Amino acid sequence: MILRRIVIALAAVVTAAATLHAADDLPSILISRQLSESEHIAVGDVVRLSASADGTSPRPFRVSGVYEPTPDPARLGAVIREVQLHLPDLLTLTREPGIPAGSEYVQTINVALVDPADAAAFSREIQARMPGVSAQPATGAAESTGPFLVLRRFHLAIAIVTIVASTVFLLALTIMLVDERRAAVGVLRLIGLPIRRIIVQLFIEGALIATIGSLFGLVLSLVSEGLINRFFQWRYDTALVFVHVTPEVAAICVAIAVPLGVSATVVASWALLRRNGLRLARR
Amino acid sequence: MNAMGFAWRSLVRQPARASLGVLGVAAVGALLFDMLLLSQGLVISMRDLFERTGFDLRVTATDSLPGQGPLIPNAVADAQAIAKLPTVRSAIALRFANASILNGGQRGFYTSFQGVAGTGEHPWTILRGRDMGTGAELVINENISTRLRLEPGARVVLRAFCTSEEQALPPVPFTVAGVAQFPFDTPNGATLATSLEMLANACGGNESDDADVIMVASQESAGPAAAVADVAKLLPDLRVLSNAEAVNRFERGGFTYFRQISTVLTTVTLSFAVLLITVLLTVSINQRLGEIAALRALGFSRWRVVADVLCESVLIVGGGGLLSLPLGGLLAAGLDNILKRIPGIPAQVHFFVFEPGALRVHLLLLAATAVIAALYPIRIVARLPIAATLRDEVVG
Repeated sequence: MILRRIVIALAAVVTAAATLHAADDLPSILISRQLSESEHIAVGDVVRLSASADGTSPRPFRVSGVYEPTPDPARLGAVIREVQLHLPDLLTLTREPGIPAGSEYVQTINVALVDPADAAAFSREIQARMPGVSAQPATGAAESTGPFLVLRRFHLAIAIVTIVASTVFLLALTIMLVDERRAAVGVLRLIGLPIRRIIVQLFIEGALIATIGSLFGLVLSLVSEGLINRFFQWRYDTALVFVHVTPEVAAICVAIAVPLGVSATVVASWALLRRNGLRLARR
Repeated sequence: MNAMGFAWRSLVRQPARASLGVLGVAAVGALLFDMLLLSQGLVISMRDLFERTGFDLRVTATDSLPGQGPLIPNAVADAQAIAKLPTVRSAIALRFANASILNGGQRGFYTSFQGVAGTGEHPWTILRGRDMGTGAELVINENISTRLRLEPGARVVLRAFCTSEEQALPPVPFTVAGVAQFPFDTPNGATLATSLEMLANACGGNESDDADVIMVASQESAGPAAAVADVAKLLPDLRVLSNAEAVNRFERGGFTYFRQISTVLTTVTLSFAVLLITVLLTVSINQRLGEIAALRALGFSRWRVVADVLCESVLIVGGGGLLSLPLGGLLAAGLDNILKRIPGIPAQVHFFVFEPGALRVHLLLLAATAVIAALYPIRIVARLPIAATLRDEVVG
């Protein structure tokens, strides 16, 4: 196991931002972009931090950098005013008087494995060896938590309703389009083309239209992906990605849309083709 | 025959396509209706919930949500001072902690733990038994009662966690006075409440007068705005929020996601509906160009055939719109059930809430859809050359 990084975010209170020249011997901190913008703190500034709300026992720190916080859907809409300290500095700042150094605890330890594929086995082993400690692979952790599962189900339900509405409209349209070609189909029947041959032709037509429509839909979704992401990123001041058209999602869309389009064409044509050729050709 | 009657007959003549058109609009309309309910549902629901607690104002130490920020020092004295203001009817101080009921096995049963002090009514509704009195009594919610089989009169021993779960506070015995419904309980949440003094005792006796929030009920004659001003003047170091301001803040918070997503889906749904109804009407009109030209030749005015097309659009969208209301209601109930599984959402909060304003906007949007969708087919009909169309029909 390689312990690579321990990062603790401190919900500290910035009690004062001084524009003093940076003192090299001061401990360094990183501040979030939002905090930098809202409090007008720049790299090199010296700030005083206190762990208590009333600002008692403040300690000076030098701002060595400004960072973009890792996007967190659970904090959507919140202005992330955050400071990152070196762990020993944080423990010194937050330690109660009379508590000996070294008796503190941390909430989370982030672990980088040599082989990320071992994450599941590693977490099982940790939980078996250290009862009371929860170890969870970072990959997929977000999707496995309640809010994201619920949102996924919600979006799936919306998608199903949209597909149902589209199917109904598609059927209405194909019925009209097939009906428009009633006379042409009647003539084809009268000149001897079997029903099977005409159905194959309509099937190919339906498949072509559905494929082109699906591709157009994918292009539209890729364009709107950028627009939606840009809008929501601007709206919530976050780097979070809201819409991501993955190859899997695109494949599922095509796999649903093409058979639906073809089925609608064939179903709409079937009622027409059962009629007599003369009736179809009659004006 | 008037234009509406004529349009009706045109649709009835081709029942399959008319029915499918109406059904399509119904499905899209249901989604549209639900998105309108979603856009304000959570905010309306939260406002109702705040108002049902009977308190108009929330006083906290900082801008943090109650329970997430520092405690208000000497909150009991502050609550008493607030209650004496002429614009205030009553005030209570509330402190939030966690507890483990040790009757629930070796590890205990984890619950949230509230302590209350002050002159006002308690922010919960008694379902069985009675409200807590003085002494070591508490009220529990239905989930605790069911899970631990506790009823009024039962004895419980609990260990409080007041600042962190690493605390090892001594267990404290209590008697269950009643079973209550707490307004902000989650569906599976466990909550119990006692007096602020008993909670402070369970917390080791420290900070016995401190609280997370002071909830204030204003005098009806004065209103919350006057009470906010009076309380802010009395306690300038504390933050005072009326229900409206709290809802406003909530509206600007993370749950604006649902309003934004409803705006996006409303726009997409409406565009989809306009596009498809336009296509349906256009194809239908194109198939009947000869018939329309013949009607014009027989003496139907240009405006009359335009009115026929518009009425056809109104009938399709109107029929679908009517169907969309019950469909949307059913769909909203299903979607609400899905979203309410988000952890931490109070059981009494709903994402989809009906309000007359949403219905009005829905009807307006559908009416606009009917008109916009009919514009292109109307243009075709209005510019139809009668003689040329009839000749084409005959030659074709």
